[in-house]
Amino acid sequence: MSHLALERVRFAHPGGRTVLEDADFTAERGSFTVLRGPSGAGKSTLLRLLCRLEEPQAGRVLLDGADIRAMAPAALRRRVAYLQQTPVVVAGSVRDNLLLPFSFKANAGLPRPDDARLRQGLAGLSAADVPLEQEAATLSVGQRQRLCLARALLTGPEALLLDEPTSALDPDSAAAVLAAAEDICLDRGVSVVLVSHTEFTPRRVTPQNLHLEAGRLAWTPA
Amino acid sequence: MDAGVIAITPWRLALALAFSLVAGGCSLWLKLGLGRDILVGTVRTVAQLFLMGWVLGVVFAADSLWLVLPLFLVMAGAAAHTARGRVREKAVAFAWPMYGAMTAVYLLVTITVTGAIVHAEPWWKPQYFLPIGGMVLGNSMNSVALALDRLFSDLHARAAEVEMRLCLGADAAEASADVVRAAVRAGMIPSINSMMAVGLVSLPGMMTGQILGGSDPSAAIRYQIVVMLMIVGATALGSSLLTLLIRRRCFGPGDRPLLR
Repeated sequence: MSHLALERVRFAHPGGRTVLEDADFTAERGSFTVLRGPSGAGKSTLLRLLCRLEEPQAGRVLLDGADIRAMAPAALRRRVAYLQQTPVVVAGSVRDNLLLPFSFKANAGLPRPDDARLRQGLAGLSAADVPLEQEAATLSVGQRQRLCLARALLTGPEALLLDEPTSALDPDSAAAVLAAAEDICLDRGVSVVLVSHTEFTPRRVTPQNLHLEAGRLAWTPA
Repeated sequence: MDAGVIAITPWRLALALAFSLVAGGCSLWLKLGLGRDILVGTVRTVAQLFLMGWVLGVVFAADSLWLVLPLFLVMAGAAAHTARGRVREKAVAFAWPMYGAMTAVYLLVTITVTGAIVHAEPWWKPQYFLPIGGMVLGNSMNSVALALDRLFSDLHARAAEVEMRLCLGADAAEASADVVRAAVRAGMIPSINSMMAVGLVSLPGMMTGQILGGSDPSAAIRYQIVVMLMIVGATALGSSLLTLLIRRRCFGPGDRPLLR
């Protein structure tokens, strides 16, 4: 059974352009998918459909074979983590930001991580040098992106949707984030869908490549 | 009580139109383009107040709950309509919940004041119920419009932050809690500010009216204190309830944000 799937999905923005027309897509558990396509083709929309930030006009979005509309939204989004293109942090320290998910009712049953675990999470993303006490607003974009990724991983998602995570990063930060995404996929068995506008050279994973253009999805050779 | 009121004759009332002419003159002089609005505003002020004076005369004479209550509902509808017009957001339908909530809240506040504080007999006595209800509606209309305008503009401006929280497991209420707080604050601040200035900077309408009508100033200030406190309570209750109610309409099924 596939892990993430779109089944004959049609999506158009309200009163506007059709983004997906009769689209099918499947990703196996622990797979690494790279989604490409021209600017404005709807790559971000596809990711947003997978975590129900958008609702298709027709067709179904499935997680482990079940329609995501039957799941509690918070539970779905804990299983399928979506990382926005521009990292968003709240006022407060790095620690405050990392612990933000644990302030929500739906995550009340999860163990609250201690400082050692928070540092470990940052270190896994080549951000060990970021002090937990530092104001998050003072971090560079690259550090913020890694902070947001670490935060998303703390609740133990089984799928990770990365929306052009390297678009605003310098080459070193971009390489660190992409390497981390590969490690998360291979070491934790997390399914990754990466939207990338630039060339992605895999280090460890063998990605499946998907192309979206004019409402059509198509697999492409590596 | 009204022995001291100096009646304004029609000619002297017409003289007051000179102020509108001054405003129109400023508009012409500085090319403000407000001439038409000043003219329409002047005509509406005169016509609406004459109409209201006539209606109040009829309602006071009839002294019937079945005239007082419908008139209050019409006033509440006009307040909701005006507040709706001041909010620019068109993507979320909120006119009916707004009308329903504004009517319910302000009816409750007005009944509390006339029945429990003023001890009007009966509680709907038109000479008390309609002016007090009108003051609640007039002030709260502004606060509701401010709160909702802020709610919608912040949900647009802070859409990425709201989505970030949703993606981390927040529900719609948790994801928009900061936005809601800012909106309710925006609605409440003007009435809190007016509490700070009352008696120092301004002599408010009800008190002025009573003093002009010959009332003892010490009785007039008691009414004004009740009115000020009533307005703060009504704006807090109205802005909070309306903001929470309409916030729900800004999210679709699955806590999906509708404003971006």
